Amino acid sequence: MTAFMKLSDKFKFGAAAKHAADHPPASASHLVEQTVDLHHEDDETLVAKTQRGEKEAFDILAERYKERLYATIYHMTSNHEDANDLVQDALIKAYKSIGSFKSQSSFYTWVYRIAVNRTINFLKRRKNRNHYSLDDIDSNIQTDPDFVELMSHMTPRREVELNELQEKLNEALQKLSEPHRAVVIMHDVQGMTHADIAKVMKCSEGTVRSRVFYARQQLQAYLSEYL
Amino acid sequence: MECSKTQRLFDDLSEDRLPETLSREVRRHLDECTDCRVAQQRAARLQQLLALKRHERPSPEYFDDFLGEFHQRLQAETRTQAGWWEQLVASFTIERSRVWRYAFAGGVGVFLVVSVLMSRGVIPMARPVASDAPQAANDISIPTFAAAPPSTPAKAVASTLSRSVEPSSAGSVVIIPAAAHNANAEVSAPRYVLDRITVTPANYEVASSIHF
Repeated sequence: MTAFMKLSDKFKFGAAAKHAADHPPASASHLVEQTVDLHHEDDETLVAKTQRGEKEAFDILAERYKERLYATIYHMTSNHEDANDLVQDALIKAYKSIGSFKSQSSFYTWVYRIAVNRTINFLKRRKNRNHYSLDDIDSNIQTDPDFVELMSHMTPRREVELNELQEKLNEALQKLSEPHRAVVIMHDVQGMTHADIAKVMKCSEGTVRSRVFYARQQLQAYLSEYL
Repeated sequence: MECSKTQRLFDDLSEDRLPETLSREVRRHLDECTDCRVAQQRAARLQQLLALKRHERPSPEYFDDFLGEFHQRLQAETRTQAGWWEQLVASFTIERSRVWRYAFAGGVGVFLVVSVLMSRGVIPMARPVASDAPQAANDISIPTFAAAPPSTPAKAVASTLSRSVEPSSAGSVVIIPAAAHNANAEVSAPRYVLDRITVTPANYEVASSIHF
């Protein structure tokens, strides 16, 4: 049993985590200096530094991608708290597994894949619990060309409140299956290309196109009164 | 060009990613097909609608303590060592589904190979054990016939056999009542063969009324 626990420790915590636990952070001034330098490093260098045990390098990576990860997960879950938990969870998983990252794909694609897969698993478990906790819509929306054009097409008899539109949109998205929701959010909300989505989802571009097409067909049916 | 194929190319058309000839073909179809034109407009409006979701954002200070929370959670996870159950559940997550797929395929493969070998007799199949068969060689009991009266016919003696013992492999006891197959012939004393040794009961008295 003891041997098993030792093995599980090894399995659970990578070299980076061990190093971080063994080596306390340096002095504050040195740390600030080092962090400033790290901000200019590219992903590949930061990954290599993290693999060598520099915990601060991973902090930069987390800072760099947290908002994009949060946005995707939030749009998939339509829940603010779940999105926060899942982003943290995905980054912890990425940090622990960074020793096995081989740079065959970019760090962004890799961490994105972890986040999307964990979110899909979470949504499958949550299946029957649709509790929305939506973020506010920022004030910039009033000047967004998409919004202006959309509103100009709204017929006078179908005046739509912005909050109502937000709710209907989220409801319609939640009716899609998890993989279809993921691709339509990555493509139509996040603006990712088919090729990048295919890398994240580990499937062909043809599959991505097909899923986007099918998801849009369904969304058009659910949102017909707003189109 | 078919309508379904045209509609799948709307994205590439709007982003100028189609080869010139294909692009011309799609545009020509759109000029001729009202249904596809309507579908294109609806798809564009849906994309505008979905793009509005980009404006759903948390408050600006939401990410202020993001790293602090990340470090806290990481430390908490480091302290809490996962038990075997958590590790088992974690092994079923989607990231490892490929491993389980291979394991399942391997298991099915092994099952098929074993099945084929068993059907061809390479691997002996387990024999079903009769419910009334003796559990072990030691359990075999040879019926005694001492209680049979001298005048009892062979038919009656044969009927006292409480169980029949099938001839089987080496070491087993074979009991063959010689008269059992002809019960009406009350002519000869029963003969029992034990491991090919013919045994005639020494004390068995044949009734005087029986003529040989």
